[in-house]
Amino acid sequence: MTPPAVAVRGLEKRFGPVLALRGVDLEAREASLLAVVGPNGAGKSTLLRCLAGLALPSAGSIEIAGERAERGRLRAKVGLVAHATFLYGELSVRENLVFAARLHGVADPRRRAEALLAEDALEDWAGRRAATLSRGLAQRAALARARVHDPPILLLDEPFTGLDPRSAERLAARLRELRERGRTILLVSHDLARAAELADHAVVLQRGRVVGQASAAPLDLARLAEAAADA
Amino acid sequence: MSAVLAILWKDLVSEWRSRDRIVAMLLFSLLVVVVFHFALPVRPGGGPPEGLPGLLWVAYVFAAILGLNRAFAVELENEALSGLALVPCDRGFVFLGKATASFLLILLAQLATALAFALAFDAPLGRVAGPLAGIAALGAAGLASVGTLFAAIAVRTRYREVMLPLLLLPLLVPLLLGAVRATAELLASGRVPSDAIQLLLVTDAVFLIVSFVGFEYVLDE
Repeated sequence: MTPPAVAVRGLEKRFGPVLALRGVDLEAREASLLAVVGPNGAGKSTLLRCLAGLALPSAGSIEIAGERAERGRLRAKVGLVAHATFLYGELSVRENLVFAARLHGVADPRRRAEALLAEDALEDWAGRRAATLSRGLAQRAALARARVHDPPILLLDEPFTGLDPRSAERLAARLRELRERGRTILLVSHDLARAAELADHAVVLQRGRVVGQASAAPLDLARLAEAAADA
Repeated sequence: MSAVLAILWKDLVSEWRSRDRIVAMLLFSLLVVVVFHFALPVRPGGGPPEGLPGLLWVAYVFAAILGLNRAFAVELENEALSGLALVPCDRGFVFLGKATASFLLILLAQLATALAFALAFDAPLGRVAGPLAGIAALGAAGLASVGTLFAAIAVRTRYREVMLPLLLLPLLVPLLLGAVRATAELLASGRVPSDAIQLLLVTDAVFLIVSFVGFEYVLDE
């Protein structure tokens, strides 16, 4: 049997006296989209930052394709789109992508940047400084930046926040396309409708615990809402 | 190595476009020279004031702290610091890139400060320019290395502008001892004391190794 693309076992994260994650278990299979939903303060972003290798878990383990992943491996295998874009305002979109590709040791950073600009329809804005981009374009550039090293796993933290309906629809279509191309996507959101629309599987997180699950796409929004409400 | 060069390129290009660090450092250095020029008594026989090497290094250190504080402010915009923390290689290479950029900017500020001191105080810095540049570079290397480590720590604290000098200045004592002594001896006799240079080299090496290793944990959340 193929191991899951991502498996989290008993993950805990403590910030001083506060236990942000309390033994989280979840799995995402390859080429699927797993939504992690829950209210503010549920620990969704902390979970994603542990998965990205930005925060060190206090206990538990993270496995990538069946192998326990240390942080260096995690950082090589995942791409993260967080609340903020990680873009440098003084650099152009193209320069930001080339910089990120060099940082990740990509063999031909310029070529990779041009490929991503084309894929994400950013060519017209390639020379524009990142500081002057609209929220929708910045989010598109952030998604391209997260993929410079072509990671098999993409982590997205509330990526639809602040997007107008057209940009949100474009992003949703892009995520579906990436999943079809074999990427495993973990999407953190408090927007149940968006999660139900996109995800193959969803877990409900509350106060650092997984308190509900829903599977078999398309997800039933009412059941997901019920699971979140029960939590 | 590509990560080091990428960060160095990014910092220098960003600085070239915004000029916020170097302008602040240069203006500060010039203001220090102006203040010292009016505050220090004129010597009866003319010539530079007593304690010139110490004054020069005071200007160097505070200008450097000003620049180091800004070095990570740019990383807060759009949480770019987290983007740097995601590098798959050892985060020590992120440190090397940031520290090298700061080193070059500190050198530039030191050059301008030395010129301003030479003009304002009629100090004979020109005749010892080569060895003085060497001492300044050794000082700048120490300042940039330990300063980069502590700037990365301070930037996530509430009072980051105050925190950096509070953390950094006590650690700079051995570096300043060596640098001021070497500069004073150079200006007085024209020769560079080997014990002061040894102290600078050892301090630089310790700062560099500790900062390279420690940076892995500094970028953790």
